[in-house]
Amino acid sequence: MTLEDGHLPYNRLKVTERFPARAGEAALPREQPCMEGRRRFFVRIIQSVHALMGATLAFVVGGAVVAPSFTRRQSTWLTASDVGSLEEGVPKAVTLRVARADGATEVIDRRTVYLVKDGASVRALDSTCTHLGCRTRYNADSKRIECPCHGGMYDATGKVIGGPPPSPLQTLHARIEDDRVLVEV
Amino acid sequence: MKLISRLTDGASQAADWLDSRTGYRWLLEKVLYEPLPRGTGWFFTTGSVVSLLIGCQFVTGIGLSMYYVPSPSLAYDSVRFIMTGLPLGWLLRGLHFWGASFLVVAAVVHMLRVFFFASYKAPREVTWLSGLVMLLVILGFALSGYLLPWDQKAYWATTVSINIARSTPVVGEYVADVMRGGPNLGALTLGRWFAAHVFLLPITLITFIAAHIALMRKHGISGPLKTTPGPGAAFFPWHVIKDTFMMAAVFASLFAVAAMLPAHLDEIANPSDASYIPRPEWYFLSLFQLLKYFPGPLEPVATMVVPGVAIGFLFLLPFLDRSGERHPFRGSRKWFTAAFAVMGLGVIALTSLGLKDHPASSSDEAGLLPIAGQQLAESTGCQRCHVSGGSSSPLASIRLTKDDEWVLSHLADPVAIAPGARPDNEPAPKPMLSRFQAQAVLAFLRRQYAGEPVFVVNPDVQTAANIYASVCVACHKLDGQGGTVGPNLTHVGNRRDYESIRAIIEDPLSQYDESQMPPFGDKLPREQIEAMARYLAARK
Repeated sequence: MTLEDGHLPYNRLKVTERFPARAGEAALPREQPCMEGRRRFFVRIIQSVHALMGATLAFVVGGAVVAPSFTRRQSTWLTASDVGSLEEGVPKAVTLRVARADGATEVIDRRTVYLVKDGASVRALDSTCTHLGCRTRYNADSKRIECPCHGGMYDATGKVIGGPPPSPLQTLHARIEDDRVLVEV
Repeated sequence: MKLISRLTDGASQAADWLDSRTGYRWLLEKVLYEPLPRGTGWFFTTGSVVSLLIGCQFVTGIGLSMYYVPSPSLAYDSVRFIMTGLPLGWLLRGLHFWGASFLVVAAVVHMLRVFFFASYKAPREVTWLSGLVMLLVILGFALSGYLLPWDQKAYWATTVSINIARSTPVVGEYVADVMRGGPNLGALTLGRWFAAHVFLLPITLITFIAAHIALMRKHGISGPLKTTPGPGAAFFPWHVIKDTFMMAAVFASLFAVAAMLPAHLDEIANPSDASYIPRPEWYFLSLFQLLKYFPGPLEPVATMVVPGVAIGFLFLLPFLDRSGERHPFRGSRKWFTAAFAVMGLGVIALTSLGLKDHPASSSDEAGLLPIAGQQLAESTGCQRCHVSGGSSSPLASIRLTKDDEWVLSHLADPVAIAPGARPDNEPAPKPMLSRFQAQAVLAFLRRQYAGEPVFVVNPDVQTAANIYASVCVACHKLDGQGGTVGPNLTHVGNRRDYESIRAIIEDPLSQYDESQMPPFGDKLPREQIEAMARYLAARK
């Protein structure tokens, strides 16, 4: 059947009528040379617009994906002990409960720190061994801080005195306020 | 200069090698330089817009899935974290949320374009059918995505959708049980809807997109109604430029909407809150509205028959309308066009009626309870434990993970960590807060958890809130909360003026012959009664 204007409906046309002038290599319709400039211009626009949309999406999605990698943990000052309970030069292990945001939830980290009285001030050492991250403990007999994993040994100031640890125990900020020892964790 | 030319030489050599091994240039040319019928115009860009929006949903969905947790105890927290704790997270969710609406519109527009150009006719029947399946899949995405934030809206709208499925004759109960993963809406429901949303539906959609595009290429596009003989232009770049402009316009609008209207997040789902009025998303509103006209035993007409007939008609369309005529208003085609118009007008009419039927939004009003609750929480000693570094989460970042009954018991006896464990013969301590006050604190926590802080500027409101939460709430409703013994005070300012309200609070018998309300003239200080009366008189 034909339409009123005498043409066959499009879907009734044979494929060769739908896509005439198609043979061999020339299957790609070749535009006339005068269209070449216009064509290049269009390709540029297409490329730039798609690149812009892609970049916008990449910025939002990528930003949201990588952003948490750059957030730094906020430190807080917590009361760790009272000054009276500390002995000069003897590390006292104190476990602090530190609330920390963990994505959508909140977890309580238990962090053990050594408080060492040093005259009028107090030094706070993180108990994590600097070798491979094991939890150290204070040996009251040898008066040393020892790591049970690979035999790392530190003195009461956190200095390495034996074993594989590459650096002294990490020192945390500590201050005394009205007889209480505050530690920044 | 030399380096650049070397690099480009190297790149083209690498491309030649890749082509010799894969033949990708042949594929690229086949994909890009497909000749299109003459006069293929802007109407034929609707499919590209749909593809763009599906692509956006995939990309933003993958971003969201890195943070979302499909469990009732964490789903809400994780969405709240995306909205407030994650840089750009609000925009990411905004794009995904609004993208869903854009996609539904774009898919329907694409379908209308195909209808009006009669592109579904032989030999493209299967292309049409695959498109219809994808439209249903997209609606499935919209429905399943709705539950995931696990807020009030999610919970109650899903309850309604499942109840609609339940009204199916004979098998309804089983269908509902499968949708819920059991007799109740809960963790198992969320798990399976999540799996459907991120695995099942995407796989289905990708499969059908591939088939749809392959079929479109197999038969060529239908082209304009009036065919012009002669060679057409190549798809690339002569048609792609139009596609690109249309996609850019839609993408820019989506971005603007997502940036200006952040996606909403209600309070956390509260299965015990019977006062919440669930409303579906706008694209399901017509179906929702239809339910109102088929009450009781006729309900399956609205839930099954009408949508079933409409969808069935669409599926059968290419087999019913088999004439060679493509013009929408000529020959037998005009009857199908009329049917389409009726369906379209029906959907539009029902949707606008549904929008108009919007119940008075009581949920936007915070009400007095959270205001009183905030003051109670800050003054009753909660901060002995609920502070930074204390034994519990600070007041400002409390997550509501326990049920209401637990929280209310904890508020009455904060030291008890296992409310209900105390034996009956052991006397409970004197409660820290009365039941009403505890409910006020709970209302405050809920509000704060929803990220909507409570601000009070007017001291009268604070006074009124405190009195209301400890006394009036027992008998009087205000903004949907409170008892039902006494009259609802939500719009009391319309009925009475300041003087008579004050007189009633002081001594109800001065205004009424008979009243069960106790006089408060000797129980509350005069200035508090005046503040309460001023507040109530202003409620119109």
